[in-house]
Amino acid sequence: MAERQSAQSGLTKWFLLAGLVLVLAGVPLAVKSVYFLRILILVYVYVIATCSLRTIAISGQMSMGHAGFMGIGAYTSALLAKELGWTPWLTMPLGALATMIVAILVGFPFSRLRTFYFSMVSLLFGIAIMGVNTIFGQYTGGIYGLTRVPPLFTAGSAWYYFFFLALTVLSLLVLHRFESCRIGTSLKAVAQSREVAASVGIDETGYRVLALSVGCFMVGLAGAGYAHYNLVLSESSFDLLASINLVAYMMVGGMGSFAGPIVGAVVLASVPELFRGLKMFAPYVFAGIVILVIFLVPQGFVGLYQKTAMRFVKSDGGRRGGAS
Amino acid sequence: MLLEIKALTKLFGGLTALGHLDLHVDEGEIVGLIGPNGAGKTTVFNLITGFIRPTSGQIIFDEKDITSMKPHLVAKLGIARTFQLNPLFAEFTVLENVIASFYLHPKSRWRDAFFNTPTYRRNERQITGEALAMLELLGLDKVKDNLAKNLPHGYQKLLGIARALASRPRLLLLDEPLGGMNQDEIEFAMRIIDKTRGQGITILLVEHNMQIMDIVDRVVVINFGLKICEGTIQEVRENQRVVEAYFGVEDPA
Repeated sequence: MAERQSAQSGLTKWFLLAGLVLVLAGVPLAVKSVYFLRILILVYVYVIATCSLRTIAISGQMSMGHAGFMGIGAYTSALLAKELGWTPWLTMPLGALATMIVAILVGFPFSRLRTFYFSMVSLLFGIAIMGVNTIFGQYTGGIYGLTRVPPLFTAGSAWYYFFFLALTVLSLLVLHRFESCRIGTSLKAVAQSREVAASVGIDETGYRVLALSVGCFMVGLAGAGYAHYNLVLSESSFDLLASINLVAYMMVGGMGSFAGPIVGAVVLASVPELFRGLKMFAPYVFAGIVILVIFLVPQGFVGLYQKTAMRFVKSDGGRRGGAS
Repeated sequence: MLLEIKALTKLFGGLTALGHLDLHVDEGEIVGLIGPNGAGKTTVFNLITGFIRPTSGQIIFDEKDITSMKPHLVAKLGIARTFQLNPLFAEFTVLENVIASFYLHPKSRWRDAFFNTPTYRRNERQITGEALAMLELLGLDKVKDNLAKNLPHGYQKLLGIARALASRPRLLLLDEPLGGMNQDEIEFAMRIIDKTRGQGITILLVEHNMQIMDIVDRVVVINFGLKICEGTIQEVRENQRVVEAYFGVEDPA
């Protein structure tokens, strides 16, 4: 009985989500503004990046260099397409693969470090990646940026929008399955207690490297897509500040649930664009939201929603909140 | 002999945490490892399960040398343990804590798990059923949806045992299973531990509470990392060195 009810509510959830995707897919038919679509596309890129950051975070690793990994995917794909003339449709998966390989290579030594130490070393890694950009400046453009990246579609085409929407849906489906099956349970177990996890046979290093490589594959893919849309790459998109922004998106939305980073990225990534008229105030609005959320609702927007919803359903503080 | 420890030594800096310990546990036995605080009992557990490496000596489990083996691989061989402190996954529900243990012997392949195939869902339902049965056995079924961190201490201890049992071990290491329990819980826990004997599980346990001696077949007493006595509970009680270790040497004056 209970099982059937939960299966039914699960079905309702999927219908609602499918409806939402359909509505989003219809946006270019209603809105012709290329500028507005651009904002949405950038939000999609950040949604993928933030969700993939959470995949790493649930294994107990707070990466402070995630935008750096995004840069690896972006630059790899852009350079392969530009220098070798390969089609972006091939170089984008290759860019993601390259990001994942780098993540595996650094993952093994990094996974020996925990909590704060992992954050520090991932932060330094993010900075070091920018150093590589400068060293190979004759190919990457260095601090002047990489220009004339081969495009995916003709400029301003609505196909870009559909492509990024599809990429986002696909990435989120993959990340959601990854964390809701038994692999995800093991990841969360490692984060809570590595001793207890090891005592039931969970290989801490293996699972942490797995989480890092899956998260980095996804952000590499998002970065590669971005490269062939923006057509110009500059360091500042992937630097320390960009990495910290991703962490802020995740925290504001709430780390505790899958929806958290999505909400956080949608709200915060659109702030600088919505306040474009008052561009100089955008950073303050951004910082204001982050600070307020950290002080008032440390569990994030989605955490707050779950808590409130629970209060109406039943008053039982000890039980677990709503669906993840 | 299921577990054999030969001349196991562990030095922390210049301090001998464990000196030339010999210990064996036969299949189906319940062996108690006792000794005053700081005698090195938990160190023995940490060495067996690979959390720390011995300075010298050998650990043999089921005729296999497991000295310095990684903890998760030791677990895969069939050695489960509980912990004195933080014995569980605090942010998981009680049920999830037990389910995580079942993944030691995964029923489904990764591919099935990721794509949520009917095989995977069937296996997961079966695991949930078995986990619930385990919780029922330990009287934890009423709190199955509570977060583990919100449980009272005695329940947390029981959950630790449930977690360890769910991994279907051949050898179970219990680190102070009765610590912090009230009298009702102690009697209940002892019945559970006694019951596992019939299920082909061998137990090595560390405990301060002497009530445990009712269900223990054999006792090994250590102090300052050295074995001072071994035998049945009766033999150990009469041993002068054990009395000295616990109560000190009598003043001749």
